[in-house]
Amino acid sequence: MKMKKAIAALLTATMIFGMTGCGNKTEAPAAKDAGTEVTSDAAEEAAADTANDTASGEAVTIKVFSNLPDRTSGQGLVEQTLFNMYMEENPNVTIEVEALDDEAYKTKFKAYAAGSSMPDLVSVWGQPGFIDEVIDAGVLAELNEADYADYGFINGSLDGFSKDGKLYGLPRNTDVMCFFYNQKMFDDNGWSVPQTYDELLALGEQINAAGIIPVAMDGADKWPLAIYITDAMEKIDGSGVMAKTHDAIANADFSDPTFKQAAEMLKGSADARLFQNGFEVTDYGTAQNLFTNGQAAMFYMGSWEMSMANNQDIPAEIRDNIRVFLMPTVEGGKGKATDISAWNGGGHSVTANAANKEEAIKLLNYMYRPDGWTKIAWENGICMSAQDFSAYATGNETEVQKQFMDVIAGATNMSGTPINDMGTSDFKTQCEDLTQELSIGSVTAEEYLEGLAGACAQ
Amino acid sequence: MQKAYSNKAVILSLVLPGLITFVFAILAPICLSVYYGFTDFSGMGEATFIGFANYKELFHDKAFGRSILNSLFLAIGFVFVQHPLAIITAALLERMGRKAEGFFRCVYFLPNVISVAVIAYLWKFIYDPNFGLLNNIVKLFGGKGDINWLGSGNAIWSVLIVLIWHGFGWGMLIYYTGIKNIDPTLYEAAAIDGADNKITFLKITLPLMKPVIEVNVTLAVISALKQMETVYLLTNGGPGNETQFMANYLYKQAFSSFRYGYGNSISVVFVIICVFATAVLNRIFKEREA
Repeated sequence: MKMKKAIAALLTATMIFGMTGCGNKTEAPAAKDAGTEVTSDAAEEAAADTANDTASGEAVTIKVFSNLPDRTSGQGLVEQTLFNMYMEENPNVTIEVEALDDEAYKTKFKAYAAGSSMPDLVSVWGQPGFIDEVIDAGVLAELNEADYADYGFINGSLDGFSKDGKLYGLPRNTDVMCFFYNQKMFDDNGWSVPQTYDELLALGEQINAAGIIPVAMDGADKWPLAIYITDAMEKIDGSGVMAKTHDAIANADFSDPTFKQAAEMLKGSADARLFQNGFEVTDYGTAQNLFTNGQAAMFYMGSWEMSMANNQDIPAEIRDNIRVFLMPTVEGGKGKATDISAWNGGGHSVTANAANKEEAIKLLNYMYRPDGWTKIAWENGICMSAQDFSAYATGNETEVQKQFMDVIAGATNMSGTPINDMGTSDFKTQCEDLTQELSIGSVTAEEYLEGLAGACAQ
Repeated sequence: MQKAYSNKAVILSLVLPGLITFVFAILAPICLSVYYGFTDFSGMGEATFIGFANYKELFHDKAFGRSILNSLFLAIGFVFVQHPLAIITAALLERMGRKAEGFFRCVYFLPNVISVAVIAYLWKFIYDPNFGLLNNIVKLFGGKGDINWLGSGNAIWSVLIVLIWHGFGWGMLIYYTGIKNIDPTLYEAAAIDGADNKITFLKITLPLMKPVIEVNVTLAVISALKQMETVYLLTNGGPGNETQFMANYLYKQAFSSFRYGYGNSISVVFVIICVFATAVLNRIFKEREA
């Protein structure tokens, strides 16, 4: 009898240990040696003047959840560099980073929000399609807007991150949609930058005749096509594009002629073979390669790709000749050449139930102080922050950077959030699907607008 | 020791890990899935009970209809194209003998060893309309070579070819082992009676392979219904929803549109369809046996 009990106890114990063994998984702390090439003279400067208030404090671990999985180049490197600098200045602070690609990020973000172990500092998008639900669910901590008065945020850039007059996050970048083009190819063939939309189509015809793809378009991901619509609306209407889209979605009514005209413009561009054959199945990387290999004369993408001019993987003859122009004006349209399609998309927030809320906010403020993100991102030609970066002009900027500086400085109106990101997540998928179908002629402009209205109603 | 095995506590402790895993990893999620199928849950915040609204919507959802059709299409492709080819190849392979047998067995099975992600990207490049292999071959034969293989109208065929090609090795390998297990004396007897290759294949190989074929066909139909990863990586259901499959559509609704409730209702219908398909297949095979 005793024997039996002993065996039973042993087996039960084995089982329990076996099961708990599958449980806890610890995340590896952020690689401290990542990101070596970025200029970090800001680190030394900052180390001197930021008071080391937490330096002698107790050990703190800040968990960061980021949508920038590449920690060794681009924006991920800027983020990691800032974290490394912060940890150096505050030896008691350890920053643990978990990073996933956008789609996987959004999925896991929801899973985190549903559970109770939300990380402290998170990536967010200051667009209704993402942030509205998140704010309503009470996931994000409120920030004190007055704290950021002297951070140099561009007018209106905090709007997307605010709701009912309360601020919930800070914007990372100013994104401008544009056509990257190959200046040398243009010169060699005697092509010039189009001033009107009709000239753009005519140019496309000329480029096609030369056996080159006019514009490399990432149509498989669909959102660049949706931004093309917003870009067209900005040139047709000039101002108030975001307000108009907002009202249309709220009332499920897209009868405003601007929408139809913009839809027809996208369809017209595709029909005129402005984009490559099979653009609807070409993904981001492939479209970009068409341009960087010289198979396409232009590439329709956002200003975050300005770092192409510094990318050593791109042949020098192309890399050094990358220039940009914006969507040209439309005949009869109210939009001026300086009315641009731009918005402040990605950013960071601190979570409401963060274990180290105060510390996380300190880190957030550290990242966004003017000589943090803004300076490092600009000096390394990675992107334009949502803050005034003119003070950090070095004179060594790439031509593309200089062009973007002029674009921002001369902008008379900004479109704001593109149409696909203005509604719910469901609106986003339906809008993007419909836009792709419109561009390949599976639906007409009328059906497209009806579809959009239907997507709001649900 | 004998006594320890008849002790109920011991039995319970031995069964419990499996039972707990089953209840919490399989049974509970299925029940939750059914429950969420009746709500408008978005993955965050509150889930409101909305009755059969999701199912009503699903009934009118063109994209879902399309994905069922595509799944059936794929199942037909598997059963009537992939598997006959696999059986014939397996039979031929078995006849080859020695080194050639091992070599070709390896070659045919190779696609199954490569990760799905690699396969999808490989075919993406083969199908690329601007620099893809296929269009370059077309050019070689004097064609224009500007066919948009994954574009509207062509996409579903291109996807089917990849899926049939990819799954071919598995089917073939199972048939091959089946054939290997057939008693060689039967072939010898047939040869003495003067049966030729065709007759031995039809009268000996096929009938004796019946149980293997049944299992294989059932597996093929289920894998056709469950098809997700290759399609997700190759076209993600596009253009529009032309190459949409049930599992991929479920994923899209739940994780891109963040309609967990609707996604769950799809999963419920999905499970019902899978169970139904398996039951029908079993019935067909049983009737034949009787």
